[in-house]
Amino acid sequence: VSSEPIERRVSYLGDRLKASRCRICGKEYFEIRDYCGNCGRKSYGKMQSIDLFYDKGKLELCTLVNEPTNKFMKLQSFIYAIVSFHDGKIRVPGRLTDQILKKGEEVDLSELEGREVVPRFRRRHSVSESDVIPTISLAFTLADEYYPHQEYTIMQPRKEYENAGIVGYGVYTSRFRIKENGMERAVPFIDEDAVTAAVEAGKLALIHSGVDNALVGKVYVGTESNPYAVKPIASKVAQVLKLGEEDDDVQAVDAIDTEFACKAASSMFKDAAALVNYPKSGMKYAMVIGADNSQAAPRGCPGGELDLFVGYGGSAYIFGKHDVIAEIEGWYSCTSDTPDFWRRDSERYPLHGGRFTGDPAYFKHVRKATTKLMEKLDLKPSDVNYFVAHQPNPQFPVKIAKELGFKPDQYEVSLQVNKFGNTYSGCSPVGLAAVLDMAKPEERILITSYGSGAGSDSYLLRTTDQLVSKRQRQKVNIKYQAENPFIEYVDYSTYRRLKLGM
Amino acid sequence: MYDFSHAEALAERICNSCNFSKHLKAVLKKCICYQKEVTTLMQNRPAIVAVGRTKFGEHYGKEPEKLIEEAWLAASRESGLERKALEACYISDCFLPITNKLGLEEGFLSELTELHVPMEVTRSVSAALLTACHAISSGVYSTVLVGGIEKMTDRWDKIRDDLMLLEDPWSYYAGGTPEVNHELMLRAYAKKYGIKGEDLSKLNLALAEVAVKNHAHALKNEYAQFQRRITVEHVLSARAQSQKPLGLYDFAPISDGASAVILTNENIAKKLTSKPVYVLGCASATDFLNFPGRADLTHFVATRIAIANALKMAGINLWDIQVAELYDQSTVMEMVTMEDLGFCEEGTAWQCIRGKCESYDGFYEVNGKKLFVNTNGGLKADGNPLGATGGAQVFEVFRQLRDEAGERQVKTAGEAPKYGCTQEFEGFGTKGYVTILGRD
Repeated sequence: VSSEPIERRVSYLGDRLKASRCRICGKEYFEIRDYCGNCGRKSYGKMQSIDLFYDKGKLELCTLVNEPTNKFMKLQSFIYAIVSFHDGKIRVPGRLTDQILKKGEEVDLSELEGREVVPRFRRRHSVSESDVIPTISLAFTLADEYYPHQEYTIMQPRKEYENAGIVGYGVYTSRFRIKENGMERAVPFIDEDAVTAAVEAGKLALIHSGVDNALVGKVYVGTESNPYAVKPIASKVAQVLKLGEEDDDVQAVDAIDTEFACKAASSMFKDAAALVNYPKSGMKYAMVIGADNSQAAPRGCPGGELDLFVGYGGSAYIFGKHDVIAEIEGWYSCTSDTPDFWRRDSERYPLHGGRFTGDPAYFKHVRKATTKLMEKLDLKPSDVNYFVAHQPNPQFPVKIAKELGFKPDQYEVSLQVNKFGNTYSGCSPVGLAAVLDMAKPEERILITSYGSGAGSDSYLLRTTDQLVSKRQRQKVNIKYQAENPFIEYVDYSTYRRLKLGM
Repeated sequence: MYDFSHAEALAERICNSCNFSKHLKAVLKKCICYQKEVTTLMQNRPAIVAVGRTKFGEHYGKEPEKLIEEAWLAASRESGLERKALEACYISDCFLPITNKLGLEEGFLSELTELHVPMEVTRSVSAALLTACHAISSGVYSTVLVGGIEKMTDRWDKIRDDLMLLEDPWSYYAGGTPEVNHELMLRAYAKKYGIKGEDLSKLNLALAEVAVKNHAHALKNEYAQFQRRITVEHVLSARAQSQKPLGLYDFAPISDGASAVILTNENIAKKLTSKPVYVLGCASATDFLNFPGRADLTHFVATRIAIANALKMAGINLWDIQVAELYDQSTVMEMVTMEDLGFCEEGTAWQCIRGKCESYDGFYEVNGKKLFVNTNGGLKADGNPLGATGGAQVFEVFRQLRDEAGERQVKTAGEAPKYGCTQEFEGFGTKGYVTILGRD
């Protein structure tokens, strides 16, 4: 059993790659140091706390590991490296991740040396199923491949809006895909899970919005593939992204996990918006994340039919009243206790009540929420520019969009399930991101989520001109990830192995 | 009465040859000059009167206590001393608490020997010997046991993870293995000295020849783990099979074993034996645990400091040393250590090895002189039970200096060597030890 106090300290330093800089001589150290070895006692109290989380490093030296230590066996083969930061002031050990090295494949190490790398937040190594999951950011990917380096620059807010709305967003899916039956689905690398996707999405949303992480007062993390039955993952997200002011080693943020099948995140949009709108909250921003390593039993087993559609990824939305890119104009939610999809506590994979999934579940709730919202706001289908529906498979969202009277050019932009699979809690928010990636100012977007169990949330959003000005800050958008030349396709058995994690 | 000029010159050379910051240079110089002069302690000069060891390798059926008993009994027999003569014990082991759930090893040894004398546990025989020498020199004790035990094969399936305990935890968390630093050092070395193309192939062959040479030496060592001749082709094919620059034959094995040394002062030694071997110089130095964070990724600064201090203490010249036991945990370590000790210029040891090994006749040629290196087979072939390894190195130099090495005996101009040294590490260059032995 790993020792939890050690886990706390290691992940506190390692997740964020905390480092120190001497204010007197400028010498830098990996980890937190109270004084500089160069300057001695006079530097006490003069050490500046820095971290390498948003930095890019340089791969100095590397070697192939194909006989790992026991806890890294599931990685099989990987590149181990010395990575330097800040022109060599700091050098750390690290491994390259997001690489499947085939047995017998020649690796040109000198081709890797000297290249830029980006630290990635990942699972550290394997542990037994009862242990706390260790994490670290001493995992790196090449900056000129799937995941580019992006600066995180905090922007001073320019304008306050009347209504709260979306201030920034980020969507993250992994580099790996499985291509079957005309569908591509995102597959996590073996060291990824719902938590790492949540952090990645949140990081991209902060980069996109330019919002100061210390001003985010609440974070909701919605997932149904939480690797813990008991233990929040929002706490990890809050700590890694340093949400809220840090005091001592505690973040001044309210972090909460939410769960309602595929609407665990979209359900919280209105809560986040309401919270930042509440005058006494003093809270400038709230973040809503939906992330899943969507669960499915192997094909041929009970619940295995889900295995044809599940994806991997996360989306994060920051809500506030400043520099809004899409204001929320209204919403409608509905719920019924319809058991179409569930997983008991002790079970590994969810089951699927086949006869419930269509009419009495998905269609009934999506239809209800959407029509009620349209009635409430007195809208016709032609009044909105885009319609986004939850996408458990490629057929359902098209069928409901047609039934509700929307035209292909209103809903087709949002259809992403063919590219990433059903990312569960991240699913309809991914569709929304695809629309926001290309919408113009003053356009209306109607989005309706669906969560098994069952319920739907329908929102009407209106974009602002800031949508366009912020767009350039987001390199890693939907199109970038869907059409990336570095996507790697895996076969079914590799997909199952990666999905199972380390 | 001593000539320190060589040690001082070496200190100067070390400082000038490294790419160290001004700060580190100052630290290094201070370290080298820090060691006290020891002329006043001559009457208590530490001397080895007997040595003992077990065969290294897998001792499936033997507990750790059986191994140390075997080593001690051999040394005891040679010296004629009974355990009751021991005034203190300095024992080393690296992993007994992990491999054999033995925490307070001193108590365990007390129980075995029924002795209640002071006992201390260190992590290497060199460290134990260093501490014991200080105690003998200061006159606190006159007869002590120095020894080491290791039982690594009892954790065969987990020992590579255990070995990472000797390194920075971050390296382990990043997926490091016991081999990666050796490989990274080799790449850093080739880069720094611009060795590429044909030269790089020659360097790689030189490293292969280090392993071949050490296996050849071990053929004559009845205690060695591997008494088996290997060829360059074996080394190369193991590398090809693992798709790496270093393969199975480039690394020392996992071993069990024990070693024992009986240390007295000069006066007692002369009564016990006609051929005492003196510990003329012993020194250690420390480097960062975190290898990537070290100033120099191509060499071991701890060895450089330790050899300078040990030479200064011994008052001999580096070139007086004829036989050296180096800590060849990998072939890279043997090559780099040849430079760190000062036998070869930086970036050139591979040429010296290569030039010599192609037509190997038992020694390297440095500075126009013969240097016999790892005559017992080194860690590569003799075995590397960490806590006992240094004892096997002392065992070998002791035998060579006394002309008792049998088939392995090396000679210069028909005479057994007068001075020899052992060089040991704890971790990947984190602790560096050099011990200089000499005879009358």
